[in-house]
Amino acid sequence: MRSTRTKSAFLNLANLLLILFLLFPIVAVVQGSLMSEKTVHVDIHAVIPPEVTLENFVLVLTQGKYRGEVNTSITSTYMPDNIKTFYRAFLNSLVIALSVTLLTLVLGSFSAYTIVRLRFRWTFWFLQSNLVARFVPLISLMIPLFVVGRSLGLINSLTGVILAEAGFLLPYAILILAPYFQSLPNELEDAACVDGCTRFGAFIRVILPLSAPGLTACGVIMFIVSWHELLIPLVLNAQVDYMTLPMVLSSLVGDTNILFNVMMALALLSLIPTLVMVLLLQKYVVHGLASGALKG
Amino acid sequence: MANFSTPPPPPGRPELSRWKLAFLMNVPSLILMGAVLVFPLFYAAYLSVSKVKIGELRRGFPFPFHGWGNYAELFQDPLFLLSLKNTFVFAAVVVVAELILGLAIALLINQQRLWLSRVSRLLVLLPYAIPPIANGLIWVYIYNFKLGFLNRVLYQVGLIDNYINWTGVPETALYALTVPYIWRTLPFAILLFHAALQGIPPELYEAAEIDGAGAWHAFWHITLPMLRPMLAVVLLLRTSFAFLVFDEVLAITQGGPGDVTWVASWFTYRRSFAPPFNIGLGSASAYVLALIIGILAIFYVKLLYRKVN
Repeated sequence: MRSTRTKSAFLNLANLLLILFLLFPIVAVVQGSLMSEKTVHVDIHAVIPPEVTLENFVLVLTQGKYRGEVNTSITSTYMPDNIKTFYRAFLNSLVIALSVTLLTLVLGSFSAYTIVRLRFRWTFWFLQSNLVARFVPLISLMIPLFVVGRSLGLINSLTGVILAEAGFLLPYAILILAPYFQSLPNELEDAACVDGCTRFGAFIRVILPLSAPGLTACGVIMFIVSWHELLIPLVLNAQVDYMTLPMVLSSLVGDTNILFNVMMALALLSLIPTLVMVLLLQKYVVHGLASGALKG
Repeated sequence: MANFSTPPPPPGRPELSRWKLAFLMNVPSLILMGAVLVFPLFYAAYLSVSKVKIGELRRGFPFPFHGWGNYAELFQDPLFLLSLKNTFVFAAVVVVAELILGLAIALLINQQRLWLSRVSRLLVLLPYAIPPIANGLIWVYIYNFKLGFLNRVLYQVGLIDNYINWTGVPETALYALTVPYIWRTLPFAILLFHAALQGIPPELYEAAEIDGAGAWHAFWHITLPMLRPMLAVVLLLRTSFAFLVFDEVLAITQGGPGDVTWVASWFTYRRSFAPPFNIGLGSASAYVLALIIGILAIFYVKLLYRKVN
């Protein structure tokens, strides 16, 4: 009996340490974004800020227009340019992520279906190429995409970024979706075909609606990866009008004038959409990640 | 495409053959992947044997042939060799840590009876939601020498009297860089191990218990052997992705201090998209990286298909 109690005490301690580890950066970003400028600079030992304020968020959300009373040095001297385009960047990120999700879901479900249901030697090869394609380093694609995109006029546009991200993520989408289609019984299409449906009609009307959980899992992952993507827009887009949120964040790197309170407020705002998604759709994310890594 | 979804075909009208349907349904994917994945790979090979700097880029295609020149330059560049070495060290630390931590945490959250394990299970996916570049910036604040969160916490807890410069000194910078990356990517390893643990038939443990085997014995002789395929999958996937670390390097150290945290993808990025805009050299280094990871990819495919058959 004693050993069971020691064991569960030990496991509870391990759980506590794990939870602390998982929450540590989240606590840091929340603490940082709630500090006043003075707390950052003067109270350099404070973990719980003596002055708590929401003005950092107000500063970012009004794109720098309302500077508040606690952020004095930003008022008088310095304001990063890219904070002035916060909504623009947010919108760009949203348009890109939604388009990439839609595109990869449509093309991915077409391909995944043919791979698992209309089996040919070449569809099997195609599946294997998708496994290999997952390993192609993004950085080695970016140089040619930049050089070619430059001559095709796809640099500095949302279209170029959407196409590049969708193409890069498509193999992953196919790998996530294929096991879902495979798990549906074969008789479904046969039954639909007896009722006079074409095979494609059966796919659209019977298979797709039944694969809603798989499509959700894949869609969530596609949205998250696209929302997080930095390198593709960073290489393809340079103009302020086409900036995404990760690009705005990366433009703060090495800026010695920006203060941590504003930087953390911006980081926190940028991670909220995917954080909410992961918390609400956790079950789907777990299934999608597991099936995308294993089956095929 | 419209004519596929038309209402029931009149009797006697032949349906598209399976082969034609399969082909048509794959045309859009093949075009997109051809344009974004396949063609650029060949084009990168061409760029890596061409002389392409800012001047040639302005003049456009075709670029002057440079033979193995870029590769020769690459392997004589001490910075590239250092970047490659750092990449190996970084990936080794990350992967070993993730295999051990991932397995340990998967076992921990698999404890059904502990309510704290259920809390952990809810939180374990959280880092996956954080954009890598935001994660990088958060750790810039955590690690900051004079004002950082980590130093504040350690000071308040009483562990340190003087603030530590985590990322600013050459001895610790590369290792300090592994922690944010491990934090962000650990959910993936945990998740796969957890899925594999749930696939082990409980009868095996029951049988072991009847035979009087302890928990440790059961771990060595049941859990670990049953997890072996998954260990290999995680090892290969995590190694190849850790080789490509970029966002955290950009955010936290930008290769510094000095050049102690230059890694392969940072080298490629800086050589290609920052002065002197040596696209040819950048392509060569990207190709070296792609080849190393390609070898891992072959092992991965072989592994998955050995498991299936």
